[in-house]
Amino acid sequence: MKWTIGILCFVFFLFPVLSNASDDPVGSIKTAKGTASIIRQNQVIPVQIGEKVFIGDSLKTGPDGSLGMIFKDDTLLSIGPQSEIIVVEFLFSPAEGKLSIVTRLFKGTAAYLTGIIGKLAPESVRFETPVANIGIRGTKFVVQIEDPGTR
Amino acid sequence: MNYRVVFICWCSLFFLISCAGKKNIVVLLPDPEGQVGKVEVSNKGGTQLLTEPRHATEIKSMDRSPTPPFLMKQEEILKIFGEALSAQPELPLRFLLYFQRGTTELTAESQRQISEILAAIEARKSKDISVVGHTDRVGSRETNYRLGLERVESVKELLVSKGVDPSGIEVASHGEDNPLVETEDEVAEPRNRRIEITVR
Repeated sequence: MKWTIGILCFVFFLFPVLSNASDDPVGSIKTAKGTASIIRQNQVIPVQIGEKVFIGDSLKTGPDGSLGMIFKDDTLLSIGPQSEIIVVEFLFSPAEGKLSIVTRLFKGTAAYLTGIIGKLAPESVRFETPVANIGIRGTKFVVQIEDPGTR
Repeated sequence: MNYRVVFICWCSLFFLISCAGKKNIVVLLPDPEGQVGKVEVSNKGGTQLLTEPRHATEIKSMDRSPTPPFLMKQEEILKIFGEALSAQPELPLRFLLYFQRGTTELTAESQRQISEILAAIEARKSKDISVVGHTDRVGSRETNYRLGLERVESVKELLVSKGVDPSGIEVASHGEDNPLVETEDEVAEPRNRRIEITVR
């Protein structure tokens, strides 16, 4: 009996993970300069061109760093030096009408050009910062957020 | 005593550096085609809409409304955002290749385009190439799905034989479900007998 409950619990805990498509990469790194890394589950991975990016990944640059990535829907995102951004959410299945792209810039500078999600469902594109959220009705903008640590 | 002076100097220097140009700003820019969209910046204090190129808004804090739009000079934009902007990846390139009816044979014109595609892959050192196959509506849905896949595989083989790394190529077939031109079933439509290649 205990075993059955144990197995049931295990299955219930496991199922949401299995049914989640977050195992698929959401895009890849296309440009990189200086100190630039991906932070994935507390691990720091030095960035190389072609490196895949997943939901939950943080992209971080040092004083001499910059990097640029392309999402599967052709959204282009890049950051300058001393910057940190996280990929919060990404859903891209046009056939099922599941579309969403959410990123959050903690500090530094970013440039953003919307892709197919921005064309098909502009209300599903969100760019968050500690001081305001940005809704995008097309197409290109830049953001700077001061480092709270230097305030 | 001396130490204290040095310390105060350092502190004020840091303060000046951190104040200089370090603000929370959002700036709307024209896209690569010169089009200008809209962005809406909102927080607990209110909402500000940017609709003109190089219009910017400053956000002092989460509780204070973003400032009314002001025009930012190009050189100031480049000073603050130059490095982020130059790190923007290139836009993906798209190619359409067409086939002879019911076959995996490329049309003569599409065959000539292959060298252009190879040059683009080489120039970008791309390991991120997607090849999606489509058919017209002659034949069953299943047959067309398979035909789409055969078309994609034949083009993949062609690219690989010219030196493209197969691990960088992603293939898929949409069969007859994703036409460029809508038609009735069983209609032969050459514009739908295509594959789409995206080089990122």
